[in-house]
Amino acid sequence: MTSSPPGNRFGFKDLGIGIGLRTVHYPHILSTWPKIDWFEVLSENYLDTGGRPAYVLDQVAERYPVALHGVSLSIGSTDPLNREHLRKLKALADRTKAHWISDHLCWTGVLGRNTHDLLPMPYTEEALAHTIRRTKQVSEILERPLVLENPSSYVEFKGSSMPEWVFLARLAEEADCGLLLDVNNVYVSSFNHRFDPVEYINAIPADRVVQYHLAGHTNKGTHIIDTHSDHAIDEVWNLYALSCRRTGLVATLYEWDDDIPPFDVVLTEARKAEAFRNAVIAPGRRGRSRNPADVVSI
Amino acid sequence: MQAVVVHPGTTAEALRSRDAAAHLKTARLESVLLPSKTLSAAQRIAIYQEMYPLRMRDALASDYPGLEHFLGRRFWDFVTAYTNAHPSMGYTLNRLGDRVPAFLARQKTLKPPAFLKDLARLELAITESFDSPEAGVLRAEDLDAVAPARLGRARLLTAPSLRLLDLEWNAAAYLDTIRDEGHDHPRPRRSRSFTAVVRRNYSVYRFPLSEAAFLVLADLRDGRSISSVVKRAMSRRGPRRAAAQDFAGWFRQWTAEGVFSRIRRARTSAP
Repeated sequence: MTSSPPGNRFGFKDLGIGIGLRTVHYPHILSTWPKIDWFEVLSENYLDTGGRPAYVLDQVAERYPVALHGVSLSIGSTDPLNREHLRKLKALADRTKAHWISDHLCWTGVLGRNTHDLLPMPYTEEALAHTIRRTKQVSEILERPLVLENPSSYVEFKGSSMPEWVFLARLAEEADCGLLLDVNNVYVSSFNHRFDPVEYINAIPADRVVQYHLAGHTNKGTHIIDTHSDHAIDEVWNLYALSCRRTGLVATLYEWDDDIPPFDVVLTEARKAEAFRNAVIAPGRRGRSRNPADVVSI
Repeated sequence: MQAVVVHPGTTAEALRSRDAAAHLKTARLESVLLPSKTLSAAQRIAIYQEMYPLRMRDALASDYPGLEHFLGRRFWDFVTAYTNAHPSMGYTLNRLGDRVPAFLARQKTLKPPAFLKDLARLELAITESFDSPEAGVLRAEDLDAVAPARLGRARLLTAPSLRLLDLEWNAAAYLDTIRDEGHDHPRPRRSRSFTAVVRRNYSVYRFPLSEAAFLVLADLRDGRSISSVVKRAMSRRGPRRAAAQDFAGWFRQWTAEGVFSRIRRARTSAP
């Protein structure tokens, strides 16, 4: 039996397998308190409400570990950081005892405007220096290392001087931040931009990965849209298996945000990750090296 | 890129727009974005451009289901015009619709503007009530615990979720029918009504008020003492006037509805 690779350098716990806290699942969660390891919370949905969402979140945070996941930090923007947003984010993290706070490597708008999309950045030295500076600032304000997620994207900038995985790896090292590795996003972008997703995975500093995202997508033939509306395909699970072997056991979350099915359907999909995690702990437990992809096809 | 993503026209129109041209100096998108093997640079940025209005529409439809129901296909026109006038400037889409009532009141394309404004005011009040801070709820026994002699100088603090609306059009009646597709939806008409919106046990409720009751509740919300509120209510004329026998029933009903968060007793013997 071989042991799992060591965990991340920040000491963030492997929370196990979780799913996103979504409004449509509130009644099920509140009435059954389902057996699940943890919940990821979309930060912006809870920053300015004192109503039912806040009540549900407090109930959930009392019973389960939570991590905050944001979509509006706009770390790559040239606009000033929104200090009020960060102050509220920190307060929410403190209130819910969130294990970490994540957002995306992207920009969401400039000149004060928010498109509420995760727009890709040009991967240049200038953009890298800018993002490193801002990531350090945010980590300082939040009093914890920021965790950044690789985005899915549909355009590439001609001016980029390095691939996304190099940009992300250098950012993580130089800003000393954590990484939320979205394996589906790697796959989506690799299809859209024709790069090798395995090269991407292998370039990520394994000891900085504190969380995984898994999700389904919509293949339009000419391109893939990251819709979070389906089961993950085998290729994504295989990338997850590959990455798990590098990182060891890391908190894993299944995202389902469109056409959201009943809670148990999402949970069942999330629990597919268990087989891959077990393979990391004990690949030879059954006397042979099991291919995690076989588990998916059972 | 942002100028193209938020442009309401076609991608070609967006690329020719003044905002985009200001940043795209060579007038060629390919000088900034790469094509893929299957999509041109314009087709690639169009993916973002197509998703932007869908997000805006979802956010506004979530807060304004009555407006969406009334406008039908014209709701898209409203979303485009509104988000052009008031794009999201904050970190959350939950506040995108805050200016909808004022926007509908001053626009001239969608009719009747005054009805649409009232419908939007009511729906915004529901959203605000939903998100308002949580506070305690006054119980009937809390009221009973105050000595009658001291009740007049006390103040009833209303719940932060309370919203009071004086509507000129039949917007509340319309909103009552939108979940029932078999129902005859009332046509917009002038019809003054008074409505209270309040949250109780994390659900938002609304109930009609007479004009006299509306004015009493507004005075209480504004922090007047109970005796002052009663005196003012009984000195009004016509339908605005309250009778002495109205108050006990109103206060009982409003307490049960969760309108009050607590009672603040007067600390001094000053009048």
